[in-house]
Amino acid sequence: MSDKVFLTVKDLCKSYGEGGSYTQVLKSVSVKVYKGEMCVIQGTSGSGKSTLLNCIGGLDTIDSGNVSVDGTLVESLKGEKLGDYRRDNLGFIFQFYNLVPNLTVRENIQVCEYLSKSPLKMDELINVLGLTEHQNKFPSQLSGGQQQRCAIARALVKNPKVLLCDEPTGALDSKTSRDILVLLERINEEYGTTMLIVTHNNSIKNMVDHVIYLKDGEISKDYYNKVKTPASELEDL
Amino acid sequence: MGWILFKRALRDLKAGWARYIALSLLIIFSIYIVTSLMGAAVTVIDYTEIRDRELCREDGEFSVFVPLRDDELKEITDKGVSVEAMFYADYAINQDQILRVFKVRENINKISLIEGSLPAADNEAVIERRYSEVNNVKIGDTVKIGEKEFIVKGIGAVPDYNTVIKKLSDTTVDSKSFGLLFVTPDAYEDLYFSGCSLSSQEYYYAYLLNGAMSDDELKNILEDSEFDVNNVDDEYFREYWERMTDRKDELLEGIDELKDGADELADGAEELRDGISEFHDGMTELHDAVPNLTDGIAALDDGAAGLENGVRSYTSGVGSVASGASALSSGASSLADGTSQLNSGASQYAAGIGEFAASAEAMAQSEDPYVAAVAAGFAGPANDLATGYTQIQSGVSGVNSGAASLRDGASQLYSGVSTLNSNSQSLRNGASALHNGTSELREGTVEFADGVNELYDGSGEINDGANELADGARELADGVGEFSDEANDLIDEVFNINVSNLMLFLKHEDNPRIDSAADDVQINYSASIIFGILLVMLFAYVISVFIVHMIDQESSVIGALYSMGLKRRTLTLSYVAVPVIVTFISGVIGTLIAVLTPAGIPAQLADTLGYYSMPALEVEVTPSILIYGLVVPPVTAFIVNVLVVRKRLKNTPLALLRNEKKAVHGKEFKVKGLKFISMFRLRQMIREVRAGLTVILGMFMSLLVAFMALNTFVYCNKVKEYNVDQTKYEFMYSYKYPTEEVPEGGYEAVAEGLRKEIYGYTFDVTMMGITQDNPFFDTGDLPDNDTDIVLSSAVANKYNLSVGDVFTLQDENGDRFYAFRVYRIFDYSASLLVFMDIDRCRDFFGEDDDYFNVVFSDHELEIDSGRLYSTVSKADIEKSAGIYVDMMGTMIITMSVASSMIFLVVMYLMIKMMIDRSAFNISLIKIFGFRKREVRRMYLDGNFFMVLIGSLVVIPLCKSIMDYIYPRYLVSNVGVGIKPTYSLEIYLIIFAVIIGLYLLINFVLTGRLRKITPAVVLKNRE
Repeated sequence: MSDKVFLTVKDLCKSYGEGGSYTQVLKSVSVKVYKGEMCVIQGTSGSGKSTLLNCIGGLDTIDSGNVSVDGTLVESLKGEKLGDYRRDNLGFIFQFYNLVPNLTVRENIQVCEYLSKSPLKMDELINVLGLTEHQNKFPSQLSGGQQQRCAIARALVKNPKVLLCDEPTGALDSKTSRDILVLLERINEEYGTTMLIVTHNNSIKNMVDHVIYLKDGEISKDYYNKVKTPASELEDL
Repeated sequence: MGWILFKRALRDLKAGWARYIALSLLIIFSIYIVTSLMGAAVTVIDYTEIRDRELCREDGEFSVFVPLRDDELKEITDKGVSVEAMFYADYAINQDQILRVFKVRENINKISLIEGSLPAADNEAVIERRYSEVNNVKIGDTVKIGEKEFIVKGIGAVPDYNTVIKKLSDTTVDSKSFGLLFVTPDAYEDLYFSGCSLSSQEYYYAYLLNGAMSDDELKNILEDSEFDVNNVDDEYFREYWERMTDRKDELLEGIDELKDGADELADGAEELRDGISEFHDGMTELHDAVPNLTDGIAALDDGAAGLENGVRSYTSGVGSVASGASALSSGASSLADGTSQLNSGASQYAAGIGEFAASAEAMAQSEDPYVAAVAAGFAGPANDLATGYTQIQSGVSGVNSGAASLRDGASQLYSGVSTLNSNSQSLRNGASALHNGTSELREGTVEFADGVNELYDGSGEINDGANELADGARELADGVGEFSDEANDLIDEVFNINVSNLMLFLKHEDNPRIDSAADDVQINYSASIIFGILLVMLFAYVISVFIVHMIDQESSVIGALYSMGLKRRTLTLSYVAVPVIVTFISGVIGTLIAVLTPAGIPAQLADTLGYYSMPALEVEVTPSILIYGLVVPPVTAFIVNVLVVRKRLKNTPLALLRNEKKAVHGKEFKVKGLKFISMFRLRQMIREVRAGLTVILGMFMSLLVAFMALNTFVYCNKVKEYNVDQTKYEFMYSYKYPTEEVPEGGYEAVAEGLRKEIYGYTFDVTMMGITQDNPFFDTGDLPDNDTDIVLSSAVANKYNLSVGDVFTLQDENGDRFYAFRVYRIFDYSASLLVFMDIDRCRDFFGEDDDYFNVVFSDHELEIDSGRLYSTVSKADIEKSAGIYVDMMGTMIITMSVASSMIFLVVMYLMIKMMIDRSAFNISLIKIFGFRKREVRRMYLDGNFFMVLIGSLVVIPLCKSIMDYIYPRYLVSNVGVGIKPTYSLEIYLIIFAVIIGLYLLINFVLTGRLRKITPAVVLKNRE
């Protein structure tokens, strides 16, 4: 983690619906994330954590405020430029993996390898993620953990500046969840990738640098862990 | 990355192989048919162009009464035009076949030998290909014509008989009974002069303009050509010629008489002028005398008035005299009575006197002298008295007599005066009448004077007019003299036209025998392109529906890829890859089958070669076919799918990640009173509206193909049926040299060949002038004028005419146009005929009152064949009527099957996809406890209504479209006018087939519905 602020969210407001169904999801949220930082955004269901992640990732529009990633104002980007922003800066990991079903593990990773001008080494990444023996399998032939690892590899291969993880362990059992978190921890250490992890799992906050609590669209807590618990030692996953 | 995604597409292809193979087979079939048709069309069209060049196909042809003289030919050829004689005569072969024999051509319309060689000897011949095939005549076989035998040395085709029809107006080829034979010039002459030809020789010439002049210029030259009748050997022509020249002489005589009459008229007019001049002089005198006459008449009238008055006075006097006479007569009568009484008294007195005298005498005699003295004293007076009395009596008697005479005289006087009086009345009446008469005469004289004045004026004008008439008559006489001279020239000219040596002039583009195969396949070519693209679009769209389904299924994956910066274009291309691959591979296979296998272009060519006379053609694969077969399908698929997929991928990454779908219209759709399952079914239908519309689109496309086949089927069958049913005559004899007398048992007619263009093709429309009693055409009463005509339904249908329309036709040379009003349309579809009363027709076309050139009969007539152009029997018509059905049978079956297959596959795939898309929901519904039958009703049976409503809309729509396209593009080159109207049974069969196919698919997919288990929910969730 460096001293350089990599990601800034300032006075971000986001709402959905109109009239009776109007919901203010994010209420003037401001966040700062440093480069190489592992940050967890935690909160209950409907607290706005995924919305915050989507706004940072340029997947969702914002009502007011601004989001800056590595100096780029995300809300000012549209169309191709928004796509370029995501391609050049972001890696996404989703709860349900979202792998291309009729591509092998290796091919799923290759899809994103081509998006980067300076991708990570494919074989090394596959090896790091423990997918060497599964690299020619299709997603349907893999377990959930393996699929998520594949999804991580796909997100990492293009060497993103920030990795946005939306409930990366939400669909996994405890052991597999731990494996995945260990892996993310290792990647953060090895590649210095800034990570934003959205989770409702209370244990994960212990392994990261920065913890943000969202409650009803507002930040209720925003702190840095002085002591981090290694992922392998996390309990109650 | 592109390659990786392409791999995905390939795997998707592999996963859905059954579906793609089914679609691919249809595309292959479509491309195969389309490229085969196109290939065959291109081959025929290109070959025709090359062949036309190599074989020196004529630019046109013309026929003449007598062969052109050398100087006439030289005049044409010196100008750079090539001309070659194509004389022919028809000969009967076996019982019911005709061979048209030509000399071997040298420079124009040369024979394209398919097999063997040209005839080298006089007993050798080349036979036309179609005839040889149909009648199984091979090289080395012998053809016997009359007493002469020809060995077949070669089989070939000529460009001027691409369509081997006997007459230009024939609509179908019947190679079973008609063909061509080419022999050496000497053999030709020998054969013709052997006298066994069916008709006289036809003098046709083919020409090549060589850029030296235009067709019209050549035609003008030919029209000026004269011919020497002495060169004609044909006895029937000579007879015809003599009749024509007799008529010319009659006409010339008539004109001479007209000239004489005009001279006489001029002389008469001059005499008339003199007479009128005299008359006018007389009138002048009369005019001058009229005032005197009127004065005299006035005086006469006045005199008559005076006379009347005098007579009135006279009659009045006579009346008075009559009254006096009457009184006189009465007085005389009274006097007569008085005198009579006096006489009677006198008589009594006389008697007394007598008695006294007697007494006195007696007493005188008495003794008593006293008495005697007294008596004697009395005796003297008595005697004196007696004497006096005697004198009185005599006087009374005289008075009495005079009174009687007076009475009688008075009576006579009265009688005379009465007569005079009555006569004087008549005199008065007469005087009165005389006066009235003179008064009227006076008035009449005034009118007479006015009349004379007018007459005088009129006579002056008549006199002037007579002068002008005389001058005009003289001018007329002079004019008639000039007319006579001009008329003589004109008659010569007119007779040159009527018996002009030029009988027919036909440009190659107007000749139905030339290049018709190319024209025919051109229609196939156009139809193939249109239907091919439509079919490929349909299949591409069907595939796109699957792609959209796949995109929906993979929505979150796509969203994830988008999130990481993958571009929409890249993804679009990856999804479009499958349809492009499928259509491309299918196109390649279809094209290869079309190009390389006998079932492809050669099979299509076989259809052409089975009808038209051309050599076996080498399959030509042009870039256009390859482009169409290899490029058009994937490009079409690409365009269709890009349009569909791009729209689908337009969603934001987040929307894709969440698999958000736009609200389908109808989600809030509610119909009161509908039960849950019915409402569910309705919503399901609305939800799957895209697939439903695709099914209807498939139905539309397949029905278009089916209706093309059905229209052809109905059309061909109607041609066959109508030709047989509506041909009521047994024989139709067309005269080349008509006789004066109609053969016994025949019905004469006048046929005039006219022409009319429609949809780019010009057809012969025959104007038939028939007698009112002609039993072979149900025209009804024919109009009694030459502006109205009765149409056969064939013409009405072909040219879209109704009663009251104006129908314009042109003569065969295109020089004159005739406009007619459609008076009636009657049911006759066998050929393009229009009708007029024979006399009106003769008048209209300037023919003689007894002219005819066609005879219809219900039995065979004894007519010299040399007089005839042709004889058509009902049997011939019946034989050739079925040719269309035979020719098109394979195509009809192929298209019907293809149509059913298209509909079947599209409907199957779409409904199956609907079920697949709803698999999760179906599984859930089953978990809820719905029974299989209810599930089927909810998810499958709604399609029945879609198919039902779709068919009710699409059937009439397709029929309307096809009915519009069919006459304009598919049979526009066929000289038949029949509306391919379907019977109710056919519509019901179409409807039944659609519903039957649906039920078949429903049955098959019901099984698939059963296979969806509640586990699907769990699997999908996982």
